[in-house]
Amino acid sequence: MKFASAVLATAALTLTACSQPDSATSDTIQSEQRVVNVFSARHYRSDEHVYAAFTAATGIDVNLIGANGDQLIERVRADGERSPADVIITVDAARLHRAEEAGLFARTDFSQLAAGVSDHLIDPDGYWVGFTMRARVIAYSADRVAEGDITTYEQLADPRWAGRVCIRESGNAYNQSLMATMVAKSGEEAAEAWAAGIVANMARPPQGGDRDQLRGIAAGICDVAVVNHYYYAMLANSGQEADQDAAAASVLLFPNQDDSGAHVNISGVGIAANAPHSAEARELVAFLLSADAQRLFAEMTHEVPVIDGVEWDNAVLEAMLPFREDQRNVSELGDQNATAQRIFDRVGWQ
Amino acid sequence: MAVTGTAAPRAAQKGFNATSLAVVAALICAAPILAVAWIALTGDTGDYLAHLAQTRLPTYLTHSAYVAGVAALGTGLLGTSLGWLIARTQFPGREFLGWVLILPLAVPAYVAAYAWLDLSTAGGPLYTATNGLFPTIRGSWGAGLMFSFVLYPYVYLLARDAFASQSADAYDAARTLGSPPWHAFMHTALPMARPAIAAGLALVMMESLADYGTVSHLGAPTLSIGLVRAWSGAGSLVDAARLSLVLVVVALLIFGLERAQRRRARSVTASGKTRPAQRFVLRGWKGIAALSFCLLPLALGMFIPLGRLAYLALSEPSTTNLLDASLNSLTLAITAAIIAAALGLSTAYALRSKGIIATMSARAAGLGYAVPGAVAAVGVIAILSGTQQILDPIWRDLTGAVFPILLTGGAAALIFAYLSRFAAAAIGPAESALSRVTPALDGAARTLGATPLQTARRVHWPLIVGGLTSAGLLVFVEVLKELPATMILRPFNYDTLAVIAHSYAADERLGEAAMPSILITLVALLPMVFVARYLSSRSAGGQDR
Repeated sequence: MKFASAVLATAALTLTACSQPDSATSDTIQSEQRVVNVFSARHYRSDEHVYAAFTAATGIDVNLIGANGDQLIERVRADGERSPADVIITVDAARLHRAEEAGLFARTDFSQLAAGVSDHLIDPDGYWVGFTMRARVIAYSADRVAEGDITTYEQLADPRWAGRVCIRESGNAYNQSLMATMVAKSGEEAAEAWAAGIVANMARPPQGGDRDQLRGIAAGICDVAVVNHYYYAMLANSGQEADQDAAAASVLLFPNQDDSGAHVNISGVGIAANAPHSAEARELVAFLLSADAQRLFAEMTHEVPVIDGVEWDNAVLEAMLPFREDQRNVSELGDQNATAQRIFDRVGWQ
Repeated sequence: MAVTGTAAPRAAQKGFNATSLAVVAALICAAPILAVAWIALTGDTGDYLAHLAQTRLPTYLTHSAYVAGVAALGTGLLGTSLGWLIARTQFPGREFLGWVLILPLAVPAYVAAYAWLDLSTAGGPLYTATNGLFPTIRGSWGAGLMFSFVLYPYVYLLARDAFASQSADAYDAARTLGSPPWHAFMHTALPMARPAIAAGLALVMMESLADYGTVSHLGAPTLSIGLVRAWSGAGSLVDAARLSLVLVVVALLIFGLERAQRRRARSVTASGKTRPAQRFVLRGWKGIAALSFCLLPLALGMFIPLGRLAYLALSEPSTTNLLDASLNSLTLAITAAIIAAALGLSTAYALRSKGIIATMSARAAGLGYAVPGAVAAVGVIAILSGTQQILDPIWRDLTGAVFPILLTGGAAALIFAYLSRFAAAAIGPAESALSRVTPALDGAARTLGATPLQTARRVHWPLIVGGLTSAGLLVFVEVLKELPATMILRPFNYDTLAVIAHSYAADERLGEAAMPSILITLVALLPMVFVARYLSSRSAGGQDR
């Protein structure tokens, strides 16, 4: 009797867990409408405009799930052959690398699809491609730092900046990729010495987001900060007067212009290995690299287009360009990510 | 009046076959956490944990203790004093405040953290207005403070219910014997309410230990930070799962302490229902002081943070359509709350049987709360995809096609995840409510010829409905603001208010995060109005609540 009720209870709970129809499989029924299923780690609401433009241009509907990159990878991996994912988008090359290693991507011939994109933004193994660039740059106080006082990432570790550096916590993906670059560039030992130097130079324990680092300069807490370029642009374009003042208090510097170039990470996309709609997925990738989409990224999220010659209207971003970017292939960021993390732990970078 | 207790287990077992059912349900809730444990124990062994032990692990552990300690202290003081004021005194605005005081629970702690850091950071309005004297709300004490501001309703809700249901006899006896009111409170009312307060504190501590968003924004290096770094930085989900087992062990300890509290409290719990206590009427400045004291946590947890966001929102008008997201949030939260309350009640009954299996499965079901949502979601995905891999070939043999439903793709997967995460929020309060129904009451009812069902309906139900409603409310509000599991398990094109609020806040667009955050609290208001009305209509019959 007891056993029977236990079985019933299990059945009841399993049924509740299964009875919901799901949108991913129902599209097979209405096969006339073409769709593409997007798993994206980009949390920008403005991407809705990009997808709407894609649908208008191609007639393909976009189904979207947005979540953190690691979680997306885990869900696609667990669903295996059943995964409805057609394309996977992340905002960090290291995540793309991880998805590639988990076998989630189909190898794609990008030579036509990504024509015009520099080689260092395309996975050498052919699994993914970057469609926007975000530079991690140095901001310095317009009042307290003279032009030329700092020109490279390496100088951030110089004792001259003791107690003058604002930078966020090391769990942040962009700090990790910057550190990964330093490892790739000068080796683990030198990168660790550099990280220790920065920790010694910090004006305060890491806290807040990138904008808070810029506000730190404006408030006189620190004289230099490390931020992604588009946060500066967002602050400068903000409706808040206080934000505009904060942006005006600092000068943005693209580091290492005379040697390795500024560190860039990418928003990147790959076609899923088990994509149910791989033709539509290819069309979406092509659209993300089209002039229309590139213009939207430059204008709405202040990201740097990966295709030359695209027309767009964004005075703040325009003023930052052109700059020389690190030509090292972004796939190396993935190779060095774990090492970067351990360096942070060892030097006590919160 | 101590409880004899020998008749209880038998009565519960004979009366209800709910025990086995509850055990199965509890184990299903526990399955994702067990899956996480499986991942942790069977995964590859690397040297990452050794590296961590040499570097950051001690920091993670001490800061976890620090954050949970500050949160427990803050919520304990606030929740208990507010619960007492609302339940046992009368002052202007008391009835209204009774349920409004729950609302800060609807403000996600990370939203409060975004707003408070924005206010107090270098260059923020508080910083500027005080010439830098106002401390920046950050670090472990800052995170503990944030949890105190928004999580105190856990303690308040349970303590209030406990104070309201205490009989006047013990308290009056102490007063008659010459104890001053404060002394009488400390020695009679407080000890009697201790199980409820402990249940609330246990929830607070587990939630603050499992939190990621708040501690990461405020720079408090707790264990959940370490765990996410193991996953995101070092790429080792296995090591993240291992670190989450540490949190599970801590949760077990907290449960153990709570149990111990409950056992100690048993000896002083009055059985049955006697004369309800009179309220102390606070007049004049005392009434005003009580009112101001109750408004303080509302300001700290709700008005100030949401006000700051609303101010920012006015300068960046948002065009996002929030109607669908509101409906989604509401649907998910109501569904999960009702199922969780039923589950909490049946588990509480199962626990009454004192069977070892029932106890263990109930504890296991409560562990989901102790694990960061992102890791718990991995457990849910593992269970669902595992089930899928069993179903697909069977179905293919039967019909030639794969199983028609992708388990991870539906809203039911989300409900499953919520139940797994928040069962503890329902089981604790339900158990605390049911503890008021002493076995002696069952005995009396049965002696008078009542059937088990009649006993449950006419004796148990009136005593537990308040606590049970609290349990449902807690889960409702938790689901409204839940983020990591919702993000990864939601179906295509399915937004909730918390997801939208987060996607703006993560982009550092606080102004646009304001509207969805404010809506979360407004949506939370709806059931609270309903529940408050229901409870007060019940108490019109005589019981004072």
